[in-house]
Amino acid sequence: MASHQSHSSSERIPFYRNVKMIGIIAQIIFAILVLVAIIIIYLNVSSALSRSNLPADFSFLDDRAGIPIAETPIRYTTNDPYWKALFIGFLNTLKVALIGVVLASLLGIVVGVMRLSTNWLLRQIANVYIELIRNTPLAVQIIFWFTAVLTTVPPNITNPIVLPGRIYLSNRGLALPWLYTGTSFRAWIPWLIVAVIALIIIAYIRQRQIIKSDRPGNPWTYALLSAVLIAGTGFFVASSNTRLAENTTSDFRADRGRGSVYIDANQNNQLDNNEKIVPYALTIVTVEDGTLTTTSQNLTESRRVVNGTFRFPLIEKSEIDVENTTVEFVDPDQAEGLAIHHTNFPSIGLIYKDQNGDGTYNRGEEINPETGRGYSGIQLIMTVKNFERRIVADRDGQIRIPRFDPIQQATTSSSAPAANPNNLFGSPTNSSSDAEEAELEASIALLPSRPLVLSTPSLPISNYEGGVRLTTSYLALLLALVVYTASFIAEIVRGGIQAVSKGQTEAAKALGLSGYQTFTLIVFPQALRIILPPMISQYLNLTKNSSLGPLAGYGELFAISVIVANQTGASVPVIVMLIVAYLLISLTFAFVLNIVNDRMAIVGR
Amino acid sequence: MAVSRKPPVGTSGVLGWLKTNLFSSVVNSIISVVVGVFAIWVIFGLINWVLFSAHWMQIWVNLQLLAVYRYPGDLLWRPLTVVAMIMFVLGVSTGVARHNENGGEIIRGVFWSFSGLVFLLTLIALFNWQAVRWLWVMVSGVTLVGYGLGTAFPALNKTLAWLWGAALLLGVVLLSGFTEQGPLEVVSTRDWGGFMLTLILSAVGIVVSFPLGIALALGRRSKLPAIKYFCIAFIEIVRGAPLISWLFIASLMVPLILNISPDRLPALMRALVAITLFSSAYMAENVRGGLQAVPKGQSEAARALGLSGWQTTRLIVLPQALKAVIPAIVGQAIGLFKDTSLVFIVGLLDFFDIGRRVIPNQEASLQVTGGIVLEVSLFMAVVYFFFAYRMSVASRQLEKQLGVGER
Repeated sequence: MASHQSHSSSERIPFYRNVKMIGIIAQIIFAILVLVAIIIIYLNVSSALSRSNLPADFSFLDDRAGIPIAETPIRYTTNDPYWKALFIGFLNTLKVALIGVVLASLLGIVVGVMRLSTNWLLRQIANVYIELIRNTPLAVQIIFWFTAVLTTVPPNITNPIVLPGRIYLSNRGLALPWLYTGTSFRAWIPWLIVAVIALIIIAYIRQRQIIKSDRPGNPWTYALLSAVLIAGTGFFVASSNTRLAENTTSDFRADRGRGSVYIDANQNNQLDNNEKIVPYALTIVTVEDGTLTTTSQNLTESRRVVNGTFRFPLIEKSEIDVENTTVEFVDPDQAEGLAIHHTNFPSIGLIYKDQNGDGTYNRGEEINPETGRGYSGIQLIMTVKNFERRIVADRDGQIRIPRFDPIQQATTSSSAPAANPNNLFGSPTNSSSDAEEAELEASIALLPSRPLVLSTPSLPISNYEGGVRLTTSYLALLLALVVYTASFIAEIVRGGIQAVSKGQTEAAKALGLSGYQTFTLIVFPQALRIILPPMISQYLNLTKNSSLGPLAGYGELFAISVIVANQTGASVPVIVMLIVAYLLISLTFAFVLNIVNDRMAIVGR
Repeated sequence: MAVSRKPPVGTSGVLGWLKTNLFSSVVNSIISVVVGVFAIWVIFGLINWVLFSAHWMQIWVNLQLLAVYRYPGDLLWRPLTVVAMIMFVLGVSTGVARHNENGGEIIRGVFWSFSGLVFLLTLIALFNWQAVRWLWVMVSGVTLVGYGLGTAFPALNKTLAWLWGAALLLGVVLLSGFTEQGPLEVVSTRDWGGFMLTLILSAVGIVVSFPLGIALALGRRSKLPAIKYFCIAFIEIVRGAPLISWLFIASLMVPLILNISPDRLPALMRALVAITLFSSAYMAENVRGGLQAVPKGQSEAARALGLSGWQTTRLIVLPQALKAVIPAIVGQAIGLFKDTSLVFIVGLLDFFDIGRRVIPNQEASLQVTGGIVLEVSLFMAVVYFFFAYRMSVASRQLEKQLGVGER
């Protein structure tokens, strides 16, 4: 053997049979091939681009985008440049992904635990859920939630479902009350900083104490308590001397039903270009008397026909003097024999003919027996007394209320709708009506607010105003992603829990722990070690799957990139940005995964 | 002092089963009753809706559109012949597998559920679809003949690979036709669509990405840095972005890269490029998992026996690695099958896109109060579910079988 080896080493191997050389040559050839391919691609692409005159650099990013985006986490108008539109897409992706990750984890854990339940029914339901969801394309599920459920099943925006706490649900989405930063928020910031510092310091000290004393304890209890105390004190201190900035005023006009709150620096009572608007200003708008008009109609709502219904802008009973507020027919002749039935006083109701003469509305009476449809095209007028609404301006300083008309004396019915001074310039010059023009008695009060101000949604015209609004697109995408990803997470959770050895449970039981304690203290922490890594890759999948947003009309990164690419023709730059953005997200997840793996690895050994 | 205890609760019989599974404790009993009532309410509501309220007519009259989109009506024998060929080969495979030691349980399950679908469609065709009535009978017949042949001649086992290859190749030729003047009229891929397209995309995607994925996986494990890092970069970049973005990129970039006018490259080609490359990156990761699972002793032993590096990989390592990852590959095939629904972004009208856009926007569909999107999306979900679930059952059985075989 030894002689053979020395023999071969003395006689040199020809280079074409030397493994090392072959390797190097193969690599060189491979590298050349790749290089040639890249050069060919580059030449082809650049010649194709120059021939079709498409932009190949990033200069288009500063041009005006003009893309309307329904959901914008930061302020955005169609006048903003392309880069801002793309950035909003990125933020929207994060917005749906981050919330989706949290909800999918919760749902996934619940379903995963359900699959292991001793209750047969729960187990089967979890099984059916997982199999059904995993084996249908996400795209179909998005269409299901968006087109088939959320835009068709909830009622129209004019007649939303009102949930307790002024939450509105309609085919335009969900609107919830939300906290925004008020006028005295700045005064609160130092307190918050102190609170955070206290939180960290106290937690650190407690941690060391606990380790030293060798007793069980939670380092966060006192820290959180004191932080909340400091922040709370600061909140009240800041709210006690809150006031509006100087020259804060509003150009609100009740006859237009809208206006904005701004700082009138030059005191000319006009919103000039360089003047600052005041976001989230707290206002109270009052209209002493006013009228609203509408026309009854037959419409399709929640997959069925609603006959002879009328919808005024939604007004809550608490906002008006209910006793003196009336809804009447504009033209009694037109409404001969008809009556009004309110389903939600004063704004929503039906028009019916009392066929059995019992004086009240019975089902089916809203249908005209002659036509088979409802009584549509009948004008109604609502006279409102003492309307008062607390409104928090939106982030653009805008406030909106229903557009009231002044109460008209001695006018004909036909001129009532025409009296809407909402034409091009919105000037209340309505010379056509020779009747005395009554002024709309309305006022707006601007109030200083606490550091945080609660904004409740309202429905001034045909869309939500105030609060936080989750559009149908967002809800549908979120729902689909959560339900879809949760089915995968559930299986991961189940596998992780099953992987914890049975001896652990038995030992815990032997120590006298209850079933709940066994699960939360013994089984789940150990299962988490197995669960987390695959779960994080599911989070990444969820984030990548949010690119199906176009199916729900949600303006996330991919959807906006497609629009930008189509609009500018700058396909190559947009593609580069798209890939870089997604790789950035993937790398972040990989980074987190690595940290988790390091932390989670069993210490010792 | 002996304390008399109650006898242990019986766990057999219907009552025993109920007691252990539904009413084992007070909390469980409450859950069972509440959830049970809710489940019954949902199921009854669903059945009621499906049978009485839903509008299925628009789907029923549009089945051909959903199946093959614009494929010429008088040429429908071609896709159906392809179905027949595939069912024939599947039948032969199943028949042959009966002679294996475990009786080919898994493939039998797949075969019977697909042939069950074929028989059902044949039955429907016999009564309702005049034009394709006898074609469906032919498909059913060929399926059974294939199964019979496979059972009778187990020796066909050796030709199976060729049969599959021939069936797929012939299938493509049959669907597209030969030349303009040739014996078979050319059907442009622009007219392909519907469920046919969904199946083509997934089949081609998974078949072509298989060798590519193996190559990438081997490249990633290569000791040559240039090849290794190229493969790593390719795999990670492709996996980093979602499929829909690759489809979009392919639809824009492939014409640019080839420097030809976009009209000259059919959307089908662009979609296939994206799907195949995307799928191959994932395939590579699956195969890599298998490669890592093969003990090092195997390749060392092979080298000791004097096999070359290539022989070791081809004859020793890869067969073991691939066998270990069959379930993962089936899982990927399911994923790809579901993901083909994204080709709407390149303008292809696959099953999903026809269900999403074409049918709900037809005039007759618009007459239905509230639209028929709910019906269509449920129908699509059921169809996708049938195929995906069937595959996932097979994958689970495979997993079990392979796991048992290892021990």
